Amino acid sequence: MNLDSREIDGAVVVTLAGEVDLSHSPALRKSLMDLMLARRDVAVDLAGVAYIDSSGIAGLVEAYQMSRKNGTRFVLAAISDPVKRVLQLARLDRVFAIAETVEAALKG
Amino acid sequence: MQSDQTPSGDAPDDTASHLDLIVEMTAAFGQSHDVRATLRLGLERIAERVGSEAASLFLIDPATGGLLCHACVGAVDISGLRLAPGTGIIGRAVDSNTAQLVRDTKGDSDFAGVVDDATGFATRSILCAPLAVRTEKLGAIELINKKGGGAFTRADSRLLQALASSSALALYNARLVAAMAEQGALARELTLASEIQRAMLPGPQPADSPVHGINLAARGVSGDFYEIMPLAGGRVAFAIGDVSGKGMNASLLMAKTASLFRCLAKREDGPGRLLEAIDSELHETGLAGMFVTMVAGIFDPAAGRVVLANAGHEPPLVRSAKGGFRAIEDGSPPLGIAPDLLAGGVPECVVDLDGGALYLFTDGLTEARAANGGMLGNDGVRGLLDAFAGMPAADRLDAVVRSLDGVGSLRDDATLLVVEDRRGAADGTFERRYPARPETLADIRASVSRAARELGCDDATASDVVLAVDEACQNVIRHAYKGGEGDVVVHVGREDDLLVIRLMDFAPPSDVAKIRPRRLDDVRPGGLGTHLMRSVMDRVDFLPPPAGIGNLLQMVKRMGEP
Repeated sequence: MNLDSREIDGAVVVTLAGEVDLSHSPALRKSLMDLMLARRDVAVDLAGVAYIDSSGIAGLVEAYQMSRKNGTRFVLAAISDPVKRVLQLARLDRVFAIAETVEAALKG
Repeated sequence: MQSDQTPSGDAPDDTASHLDLIVEMTAAFGQSHDVRATLRLGLERIAERVGSEAASLFLIDPATGGLLCHACVGAVDISGLRLAPGTGIIGRAVDSNTAQLVRDTKGDSDFAGVVDDATGFATRSILCAPLAVRTEKLGAIELINKKGGGAFTRADSRLLQALASSSALALYNARLVAAMAEQGALARELTLASEIQRAMLPGPQPADSPVHGINLAARGVSGDFYEIMPLAGGRVAFAIGDVSGKGMNASLLMAKTASLFRCLAKREDGPGRLLEAIDSELHETGLAGMFVTMVAGIFDPAAGRVVLANAGHEPPLVRSAKGGFRAIEDGSPPLGIAPDLLAGGVPECVVDLDGGALYLFTDGLTEARAANGGMLGNDGVRGLLDAFAGMPAADRLDAVVRSLDGVGSLRDDATLLVVEDRRGAADGTFERRYPARPETLADIRASVSRAARELGCDDATASDVVLAVDEACQNVIRHAYKGGEGDVVVHVGREDDLLVIRLMDFAPPSDVAKIRPRRLDDVRPGGLGTHLMRSVMDRVDFLPPPAGIGNLLQMVKRMGEP
């Protein structure tokens, strides 16, 4: 898993790539939680994610729940097919805010 | 000395006045590691204190029952002198276990005069005290001729008896210590022998070897052995055996038999001739009532065919590819019973494995305790082999012996050998054992993805299957092992139009997974991973854990469906 974050227009874009499984999800969770605690608006770019499992999804869910509590924005952007498949299976595809692209996520 | 002439006048405190010597000698015995040297010194002190011209210490020789002189002081060295049982005054002292005071040897018909005859020494008077601890007689101390020409007194006698008692105790203790040390040395020797013996057993075979073996050691030296030896052309010679009896002799015979096998297997005369040759070698060295039960065989993996010869060993079992057992009963008496009994060779039989496996084992396995406490027996062994049939051979043997109850209290070594016909295994079935850790998940996904595609899954199905296996492995890591160390065996195979995945762990069975198959959602309702597994697979079930060991999860996916 690769995790990279940068600031664009006052929001933080987190770019995830590679395989997100139990060996990486704790790192993902911590990065997202730090941003949520700092009450940042976050867009997660998932275009390069080849695989994600329930532990990775759980990290996204936790961030989503905190953003709702904080009133900040948390958007998943450019989700890859493997991510889309798992979100559908978990019936979370209609829960998250999902944008076609990072640009669209930042505008929304 | 005045008291010599007045025996009645020996005061009680005569002994008390010699207490210092008794205390000194007792302390010397307590500190000394060389009891013989201390006894010799003690003897000098006694002779000096009592005032005798000569003194000697005789101990009973356990071999003859006679007396042997171990130490002496005086003009004539008689150490090494042997006396027949009951000889002389000293013999009387030992036999009656009482002190003997002979003021004039001329007046005592028991006086033997053996030493005097041999040396010219003139024995006038004798004081002799037995060395004994309770009823155990050790020998005696004899003092000859009171210095100054008088006779020994009763006071001398009491002093000598006191000193003799403390000497006897020291001797007795020293013998106990020596016996214990000898036992310790023997125990160390046995430990060493059993280590050497186990080092002689073949180590783990490469995973692709068609023959695997395992030996679970009972305490001490055993008589079990097995051998696996590659021959030309991919064939493998193998043997399993059990030497009658226990202990060092059994272990030496086992070592001899095993090395004979290694030597003779290279001659490739067939297992029947091989066993006959070992039998005649064993007779040449003399066996003293010991014998060896042994099966030898040669496996040709290209033909899936085993040639077997059985000399008095438990019948090997064939488990067919479809399950079901058949015992191979052919055989001869054990090796080492009588010369020429096996002349002409042990009868051979040919077994076609047809994709199945041949199991050979020692009675340590059938007689081991099962999980329910009863003896495993033939049915128990078959049950275990069935339960673990889905595992890779080496892991399967490991799982079988691990499921024996009270491994530490095994009465006998348990040894198990498997010979597998793998010709049908090139059908894409995948099976591998992994450490259950987050870092190995990527490896597991890659292997399962490849296996699922090879077995005919389309890309989408393969991805779903990978997800389900990953989630199931996470459950094993997080919930079965709870963060501790452990392995998981991943099996991916095709059964008709079904893709069948089995995951086996070795954690304590979870209560819900124990008794009968259950739907997974009974275990952890609402878990996202569990939900994903159920969503992508057609069936997800915990099967009854084989022999109560670990958890077995089976997931089934109908092939070709989106």
